Amino acid sequence: MTVHSPPLRAPRWRSAGWVGALTSTDHKRIGLNLGLASFAFFLIGGVLALLMRAQLAEPNGQLVSDNTYSELFTMHGSTMIYLFVTPMAIALSMYLVPLQIGAISIAGPRAALTGFWTWLAGGLIMQSGWLSAGGAGRAGWFSYVPLSNGTNTPGVGQDLWVLGVILAASGTVVMAGCVLATIARRRAPGMALLRMPVFTWTGLVTVLMVVGSFPVLIVAMILLYIDRHGGNIYSGFSGAIDYQDLFWFFGHPVVYVMFFPYLGAAAEAIAVGANKRWFGYKAFVASVMAFAALSMSVWAHHMFTTGGVTNQYFAFTSTALVIPAGIEYFDVIGTVIGGAVVLRCSMLFGLTFFVQFLIGGLSGIFVASPVLDYSANNTYFIIAHFHYTLFAGSVFGFFAGVYHWFPKLTGALLRERLGKLQLAVMIVGTNLTFFPMFLVGEDGMPRRISRYAEHPGWATLNRLETAGSAIIAVGVAIFLVNLWVSLRRREPAGDDPWRGHTLEWATSSPPPPLNYEAPLPPIRSYAPLLDLRQHAEDREREKAPA
Amino acid sequence: MRGGAIPLLAWATLLVVLLAINWIWTGDAIQVGSFAFAAAAIFAVALALIVGARRDALRRGPPQPTRDPETVPAASLGAVLVAVAVASIVFGLAFGHFLVYFGAGLLVVSLGMVLREWLAERRQRRAWLERERR
Repeated sequence: MTVHSPPLRAPRWRSAGWVGALTSTDHKRIGLNLGLASFAFFLIGGVLALLMRAQLAEPNGQLVSDNTYSELFTMHGSTMIYLFVTPMAIALSMYLVPLQIGAISIAGPRAALTGFWTWLAGGLIMQSGWLSAGGAGRAGWFSYVPLSNGTNTPGVGQDLWVLGVILAASGTVVMAGCVLATIARRRAPGMALLRMPVFTWTGLVTVLMVVGSFPVLIVAMILLYIDRHGGNIYSGFSGAIDYQDLFWFFGHPVVYVMFFPYLGAAAEAIAVGANKRWFGYKAFVASVMAFAALSMSVWAHHMFTTGGVTNQYFAFTSTALVIPAGIEYFDVIGTVIGGAVVLRCSMLFGLTFFVQFLIGGLSGIFVASPVLDYSANNTYFIIAHFHYTLFAGSVFGFFAGVYHWFPKLTGALLRERLGKLQLAVMIVGTNLTFFPMFLVGEDGMPRRISRYAEHPGWATLNRLETAGSAIIAVGVAIFLVNLWVSLRRREPAGDDPWRGHTLEWATSSPPPPLNYEAPLPPIRSYAPLLDLRQHAEDREREKAPA
Repeated sequence: MRGGAIPLLAWATLLVVLLAINWIWTGDAIQVGSFAFAAAAIFAVALALIVGARRDALRRGPPQPTRDPETVPAASLGAVLVAVAVASIVFGLAFGHFLVYFGAGLLVVSLGMVLREWLAERRQRRAWLERERR
């Protein structure tokens, strides 16, 4: 039984309505605000992607200039990575982790609120580059030097990009620190480490990676800003390699920051959808810990072709990632087999996440080999690989989480039919967009080019990619319609519509300000509500006449 | 909180092992430095937890119930203004230096507001404990 002392509320400036929502220190409100803001950035990033695909639909496309195209791919990548997938991962943890571990609030709520606003300011500053005379940042989401220095990319737009990244990354670190402190210090009585839900474990390794790697990005960006203003920090070949080392020390872990929470969301959706305990829990915990540590040591596989790094070490660590990844796939299969599977949207999105991520993962093994990477480097093969991990993977995991937890957030159900239609449309669109990229990449089509000459097969494959991207947009539009319909004509969900396993389903939907009004159930495993139900069923069976 | 430092220590140790292999294999100063920073940052957080919760952060098993009151703020304008101030300073570097000075002033004011909120919270907590004692 949980015994918490009554929480206290200090008398202070209060307000209701919009201002109250924007200054609230409730982790659920901060998580929701962060999620909504990052989803808005997702829509902006999506529009930029559609413009790029429109430009590339035909050979020698004339829709935008070379300079504008550079801005488009820079801001598309930057928006999606710094302002959507990463913060959305933190938003999920911010909202759900305290609920899952039985905490009444997040640790450092004011710091979390400051972190959110700092991140948002960073995003807005980065986007404000569009309004500057020279346009937005245009040196890629990585902004390699010397391309991004003051000589080669002059203008305020690139400065705003650098400053925006500094703020967005700083805000993300602060919010991650709050989630980390919550897990370390605020677990409910009975919530031992090995009783934490699967999603919370993925949230924990995510924030560990953020705390370990994001400060290095902030340092790299501060030095880049100084370099752009005559500091001469990254000079010559060694300076360029040093920048890449610092950047990718953040840039690869962030790929897993953008993976683990969605893996956790898909895992929760699958376990609940299969009405079964998550298979191989301890192996899963060990594998995500090892996976996260290994992912901190693979960054220079992005630099195989520079000649400035020891390829063998990074090929070794990159290939070793398949071991923990394999364990996670075994866990999914083990959870689904023998379960009373209900194919709800959350379950279907979760399973699709694992299937599609597999394509990204397998092509990752290919490019983890320096010999093969030399041929794939700087081609559309790489674009296909990372979009299969980040879009075909993480975004489907995100939607699994949305369909799974939407009733908890709002008290209403999303429409299943519209959800399944969205899933079907998005599967078609995703594979039509990104699979042909493997083919044109294998054929040598370089990335980051605003136009390409006539080449056998390229025009057809590029047209397919553009059509696919439009179909993805239709899928996202169906989701927005689903949101609109489900919130306007609410179908009440109740507190636990899916017979959930973890503590967030033990409270009302949406949860009250301090998360729980009734005492928590006893916590004896990572699925306390499933324990309760099984215990009740056992007692029923004992009572029944022989 | 019981056991809070254990996963951090375990993970930071894994990083140290990988760092050692990197050091032996590559010997690159930037790479070793970045990696060492990450491991040191996680060890530092673990150490802070150990110091904050004494040895409880290293003990295994579930956390025990506590009677300590927990203060939970409802809203904080000061915290929002801290972020606005920092953003103003940073944006001012590109937009105009007047924003840097404005942001610096706002930062002082907003930190004062956060301090005031925090002191009010402490007073409330003390008053509650006093009432409980009586």
